[in-house]
Amino acid sequence: MKTKLAVWAASLGLVAAAVPAFAHHAFSAEYDSTKPVKVKGVVSKLEWMNPHIWFYVDVAEESGKVTTWGFSGGPPGMLMRRGITKDVLKPGDVIIVEGFRAKDGSNNASGGNVTFADGRKVFAGAAEDVVPKGANGK
Amino acid sequence: MRNRFVRLWLILAAGAFAQPVSNRKAIPRAADGKPDFSGVWAGPGFTHKVGPHDTDTPSVTNFDPNNFAPYKPGGEALFLQKLTGDVNHDDPTAHCLPDGFPREVLSPYATEILEQPGTVTFLYEYMHFFRVVATDGRPHPKDLDLTFMGDSVGRWEGDTLVIDTIGLKPWPIDAFTTGLVRYHSDALHVIERFQYLDPTTVSLEMTIDDPKIFTRPWSQNFQMKLHPTWKLFEQICEENNRCEAGNCKPADVQQKSK
Repeated sequence: MKTKLAVWAASLGLVAAAVPAFAHHAFSAEYDSTKPVKVKGVVSKLEWMNPHIWFYVDVAEESGKVTTWGFSGGPPGMLMRRGITKDVLKPGDVIIVEGFRAKDGSNNASGGNVTFADGRKVFAGAAEDVVPKGANGK
Repeated sequence: MRNRFVRLWLILAAGAFAQPVSNRKAIPRAADGKPDFSGVWAGPGFTHKVGPHDTDTPSVTNFDPNNFAPYKPGGEALFLQKLTGDVNHDDPTAHCLPDGFPREVLSPYATEILEQPGTVTFLYEYMHFFRVVATDGRPHPKDLDLTFMGDSVGRWEGDTLVIDTIGLKPWPIDAFTTGLVRYHSDALHVIERFQYLDPTTVSLEMTIDDPKIFTRPWSQNFQMKLHPTWKLFEQICEENNRCEAGNCKPADVQQKSK
């Protein structure tokens, strides 16, 4: 037991910054890697469900029309094991999201990178990326 | 009295700086003396960095082409299949069809092992699959129907648990889908060898024997880490598979915005 503690202590600080590739299925089956999407808006809803979380962002266009974009993130279990909980995105949060558009051209996309209004970055995606420090939103 | 505390402190301090245990006696053992693999594990589909908060990171793992044996004539065409645009072929898991064995073992989800005398049961978090493996020396049944998880029988070779699997329907062998998908044949025969390296680390050697594709069997080594604080999560693929095969169903909040 003491040995185990020592091994654990040695790994302190080595918070994983690894690359979870697609988790449930092939990214290419659903999203178009040639069509990057970047929007800024207000989070309206979070669906913390399998096989991937979805979060919805109200994006105001210049005309005043509001379009609700859907972004797919990682599987809930995978995110929880990386210290990311369902409290990470709340309705009303202003965020910038970058991802890749769904193949059907609808207002849906993979949502790999999320940046909050205060500059804080969070990774909620399932595609290749690096887990930033403070990714658990704390 | 005081001396006893000093001695205790010294023993604790010595223990804290000891090297990782590779002592065979230290590994968990069942009542029958066999190594006990029971517990929740981060398998090959994780980047292993177990720490105070169990920080193993899920990470999709595939078979490494550097380990592949040479192909038989025609074997490469059978194994490396071009993507067709049909997800039923390219990645059936996009339709929530099973990933099957051995891909399930490589998935970035946890696995719980339950060991009983004569049986080892694997509970896979991803898509709620399971394998019940008899370890009482029985052979594979004759006239097997091909299935996604196949038929597995196990045996002990000393402290190594050896599991032999056949009866698998041709299916993607792993999650590799970059331009190609790798299909094993109906002749696939997989041998898994589980062996403790230390009380929380297990070596898993997988041998891929697919005589319709490769000239000889080949192997790849993986590691599994025990996570005493983990439990299996629910994973229901059909729950909210919104953009199945690239066709997204509008969510309620999206319908309101129109």
